[in-house]
Amino acid sequence: MSTQASEAAVAPGARTTRKRRRGESHDPVNWWLTALLIVLALTIAVPLYFAVVTALKTTDQLGGTGFGLPTSVRWSNFADAWRLTDFPRTALNSAIITVGAVVLTLLTNSMVAYAIARNLERKLFKGLYFYFVSALFVPFPIIMLPVAKETALLHLDNRLGLILLYVVYGLAFNIFIFTAYIQSIPRELEEAAAMDGASTWGIFWKVIFPLLAPMNATVGILTCLWAWNDFLLPLVILSDPGSATLPLVQYVFQSQFQTNYPTAFASYLMAMAPLLLVYVFAQRWVISGVTQGAVK
Amino acid sequence: MTATNLPASDAGATTSRTSSPAAGPGRPRKSATQLPRTFYLMVLPALVLFVIFHTIPVIQGVYYSFTDSPGYGPSNLVGFRNYIALFSDPRVLHAYWFTFLIAGVATILVNIVSLAIAVGLNGKIKFKTTLRGVYFVPNILAILVVGYIFNYLFSNSLPALGQKLGIDFLSTSLLTQASTAWIGIVILAVWQAAAFNIIIYIAGLQTVPQEIYEAASIDGAGAWRSFRSITFPMIAGFFTINMVLSLKSFLQIFDHIVALTNGGPGTDTESVALLIYKGGFQGGEYGYQSANSVVFFIVIVVFSIVQLRFLQRREMSA
Amino acid sequence: MSQSSSPPRRRPVLRPLRATTIAGVLVLVASLLSGCSGGDGRTVITFFQFKPEAQQYFQDLASQFEKANPGIRVVVDNPADPETALRTRLVKNDVPDVMTLNANGTFGEFASAKIFRDFRSDPVLDHVNPAYLKVIGALGSGGKGEVNGVPFAANASGLLYNEDLFAKYHVAVPRTFDQLIAAARKFKAAGVTPFYGMLADAWTAQSPLAPLSSQLQPSDFFPERFADRTTFAQGWRSTASELAQLYKYTQPDPLSKGYEDGTAAFAKGQSAMLLLGSYAVPQIRASKPKFTVGSMALPATNDPAKTTLVSGVDVVITAARHGAHQKEVSKFIDFLMQPKVMTAYCKAQVAIPTLQGLRNDDPALKGVQSYINAGKIVGFTDHQFIAAIPLAPLLQTFLLSGNESRFLSDLDSDWDKVAQRRTWGIGAVNS
Repeated sequence: MSTQASEAAVAPGARTTRKRRRGESHDPVNWWLTALLIVLALTIAVPLYFAVVTALKTTDQLGGTGFGLPTSVRWSNFADAWRLTDFPRTALNSAIITVGAVVLTLLTNSMVAYAIARNLERKLFKGLYFYFVSALFVPFPIIMLPVAKETALLHLDNRLGLILLYVVYGLAFNIFIFTAYIQSIPRELEEAAAMDGASTWGIFWKVIFPLLAPMNATVGILTCLWAWNDFLLPLVILSDPGSATLPLVQYVFQSQFQTNYPTAFASYLMAMAPLLLVYVFAQRWVISGVTQGAVK
Repeated sequence: MTATNLPASDAGATTSRTSSPAAGPGRPRKSATQLPRTFYLMVLPALVLFVIFHTIPVIQGVYYSFTDSPGYGPSNLVGFRNYIALFSDPRVLHAYWFTFLIAGVATILVNIVSLAIAVGLNGKIKFKTTLRGVYFVPNILAILVVGYIFNYLFSNSLPALGQKLGIDFLSTSLLTQASTAWIGIVILAVWQAAAFNIIIYIAGLQTVPQEIYEAASIDGAGAWRSFRSITFPMIAGFFTINMVLSLKSFLQIFDHIVALTNGGPGTDTESVALLIYKGGFQGGEYGYQSANSVVFFIVIVVFSIVQLRFLQRREMSA
Repeated sequence: MSQSSSPPRRRPVLRPLRATTIAGVLVLVASLLSGCSGGDGRTVITFFQFKPEAQQYFQDLASQFEKANPGIRVVVDNPADPETALRTRLVKNDVPDVMTLNANGTFGEFASAKIFRDFRSDPVLDHVNPAYLKVIGALGSGGKGEVNGVPFAANASGLLYNEDLFAKYHVAVPRTFDQLIAAARKFKAAGVTPFYGMLADAWTAQSPLAPLSSQLQPSDFFPERFADRTTFAQGWRSTASELAQLYKYTQPDPLSKGYEDGTAAFAKGQSAMLLLGSYAVPQIRASKPKFTVGSMALPATNDPAKTTLVSGVDVVITAARHGAHQKEVSKFIDFLMQPKVMTAYCKAQVAIPTLQGLRNDDPALKGVQSYINAGKIVGFTDHQFIAAIPLAPLLQTFLLSGNESRFLSDLDSDWDKVAQRRTWGIGAVNS
C-alpha cells in the first residue's frame, strides 16, 4: 500500500513540503509533522509544569514570569492543602459519587436507549427520544433551585441523591449517542437469539450489551469526568458538609482579600492527581474506546 | 414462528432492512402489533425519574420566572414584567452579545484546530499513541481548576514575559480589559475543548479508506485538494455533530469565565450563564434571572436547529 | 472502519461487571450508613462559617467547645460560595443553627426576611460597642428595633500609609481633605506614587467611596433615595468630584493593575498610600514589607471634627430564628464571644474587636483607634446598594473618563431600573 501518498493527503501541516514529498523516496515517518505535534503538545505541558513549580514555592517567591524553579522548595504546601481540604475524606466522597454514577449509568442508560432505538418508528418511542434529548438544551440554572428543594424534600440531599441525578441527567446525551450506535447494529443477531427462544431482556443483556463495549467505554469515561469535576450540582444538592467533593473544597484558598497561590495550586494538583493517574494507566483503553465509539 | 414469547414484531420486519447506520427511522410504519412489555418496562423507570428530577423542576423554574422571587420565602406573581424588563436591561443584552461572540469564535476555532491536529495525529508520525494520549489530557482536568492556572499565567507570567521582550501589547494583563479578556477566554476554551474533538475527528478520519487517497494521488491530487474533496466530505457527519455540540456547549460557557475574570472588569465579560448565576443567586433576583434562563433556553434551541439545518444542507450538497 | 485494536471478548465482562455492581452497591450502602451517624445521643448543631482564612481557627474553636460541652456536637460547614450556599439552604428550608457572615447587603436582605434571630434582649450584646449594633441595624432587620446579629469582628476602612515614607518626606498625617491632597502632591513631586490605583479590580474604587460618601452626603440620604425623594445627582456631587481628585494622584494606567499588584507594590515601598482598609493588611504582610503599615481615617471635609471612620462588621454571628436547638446555640455564641477568643481572632486577622474595652494593639490599627473609642464609626454606604446595581463598573468607567454628570445620571437610572424590578427587602420601592 502506498503509505507515502496517503500520508501526504492527510497531513496539511506539511503542506509546504508536500510537493517535495511526493517525489521523494519512501519515508514512512513524517518527522516534520511529528516535531510540529510535539511542539504543540508543549502547550498542554506548560500549564501543568507551571502549576507544579508554583505549588512548591512560598508566597514571596511569586512574581516575574513564574516559570522559574523555586529557590527554596516548600513541600509543606501540599501538607497544608491536604489538611485544609480534608483530602482523604473529600477524595473518598468524590470517588464514591463518581463510581456510583458510572456504574449505575452504564447499567441503565443503554437499556433505555435500546428500547428507544429499536422502536423509533413508533410515535411513543420517537417522542421519548426527542423528550430525553431535548434536555441537552436546557440550561442548568433553570432547574438548580427547584431541584435543590425537591431533593431536600425527598431526603435525597446526599451522595445517593447526587448519584441518582447524574444518572438521570446523563440520559439526555447518553441516549443520543447510544441510539445512534445501536442503530448500526444489525438486527440479525437479535433475531437469531429470538429464534433460539431468548426473551427481550435476555437478548439485550446477552447479545446487545456486550456489543456496546466501545460505547460503554465512552459513556463511562465521560460520566466519570463529569461526576469527578462537577461543581454546581454538588454545591446545591449536598447538605452535609462531610459529603463535600473535591471541587467544592478548592475554594478554601480564595477569599476576596487574600489568595494563597502556592497552597491553592498544590491543592489543585492533588485534586487533578487521581484522574490523571487513572488516565495514565488506562490511557490506551480510554482513547480507543472513545475512538471506536465515535465512529458509530 | 410459533413461539409465543418471541419478539415477533421485531423479527418479522427485518427482512427488508439494511444495516447502514442511518436506516433506523426509515422503516415502514408497523401496524399496531403488540410490543413486548419488556420494552416498556425498560423505559418506564427512566421516564419516571426524568419527569421527577428534570421536567418538574423545569416547570417550577418557568413558574418562578413569572414571579419576583429571591429564591426563598414569599413572592408575588408579576406576569410578563420580568421578560419585558430583560429586553431593556443593558447588562442582559451585553451578556448575550458577549456570549454569542465567544461561542461563535470558539466553536469555529476549536473545530479548525482540532481537525488540523487530528489530521496530523492520523498521519504517519512517530509516538502516535503517546501523542494522542497527551492531547487528550486537557479534557481530564476540571475547567475551573485549569482556569485558575491560566488566570495566573495571563495575569502575571505573560505580562512579565511581555515586559522582558518589550512587547507592548502583552505587557499588561489580557484579562483586565474587556476588549482583550475575551481572547484569553477563547484561548482557554479552545485549549480545553480541542482535546475531545481531536479524538472524535481521529475516529472520523479513520473511517476514510486509504484506497481513495491512493486513487486521488494517482489522478494527481495534492494534499490540500485531497483534504477538501475527499477527507472533509467524508467526515462531514462528524463535523456537523461536533459543531452543533460545540456551539451548544460554548453558549453555556460558565466555568471558564468564573476562573478567568469572574465577569469583570465590572460586568463586561459576563456570559449569560454567569449572569443568571450571579444575578439570580448573589444578587437575589432569582425570578428575574429565571426569566432570563427561559429566554436563554429558547435561544440555544433556535441556534442549534438553525445550525443543524445549515450544516446538514451543506452535507447533502457537498 | 480501520480500527487499530479490536475490542477484547466482552462476554466474560458481564460477570466482573456484576461483581462490580454488587461491590458498588455495598459501597453506597456503607457510605449512606456512615452518613447517617449521630446516633451517639448528642445534640447536633450546624455551624455555617463563611470566612476561608479563618476556617482552621473556627474549626479548632468548635472542637474546644465540644470538649467543654460533651453533650453537644458542632458540625462545621465551610461552603465554597457562602452566599449561594446559604440561599440554597434557605430554599431547602434548612437554615443553619449558627452562622458567621459578612455584614453586608445580603445580610440585610436575609435579616429583613426574618431569617435570623432577634438578639435585642440577649445578654451577649451587653458589652458590644453600640456603634456596631447601629451599623448592622442600618443594613436591615426583621422588624422595628430588632438586632439580628452579634458583631464579632470589624474592619477599618480609611486608608493605609507607609509610615517610613511619610517620615522620610516629612509629611504629617492629613486631617483634612485639603491636607490629604497636599500630601499627595508632595509625594508626586518627590517621585513617589501617592496612591496605587488598582482599577483592574473595580471593587477597590468602592473603598475610598465609602468614607467620602458617608461624610459628604446629606444625613438621611439613603432612606430618602429609597423613597424616591432624592437622587444621586443631587446628593453625591461632591463625593464624585473628590473621588476623581484622589484618583488623579495614582500611577499612570491604573486600569492595568489589580488588588494583588497594588498590595504587593505597596509592600515593596512603591507607593506612599493605599486606598484600602485594614482587611488588606494580611495580604500586604504576606509580601513581607520592610516598613510599618499605618492607617488613618479618610477625611472628606476640611473640618476634622466631621471625619468619621468607616468600619463595617466583617464577621457577624447570628442564629436561625426558628432553629430547634436555641439553648445550645446560645451557649456556643457565648463561647465565641469570649474576650480571649475574640482577641486571638482579631490579632491573627488584623481586625477590630467589637467588645467594649478590648483593643487590637496592632500598629496597623493605631491610627484609627481614637475613632473607635469615640464611637465615630459608620457602616459602608455601598452595602445600601442592591447587588444587581453595577456600582463597581460604573465607578471604574467614571474614574477613567472623569465624566461626573454621566456617572451620577447612570447611577440614578440603574438604581431606578433595578428598584422597579424589586418589590421587597432592600430597595423596596413602596409605590
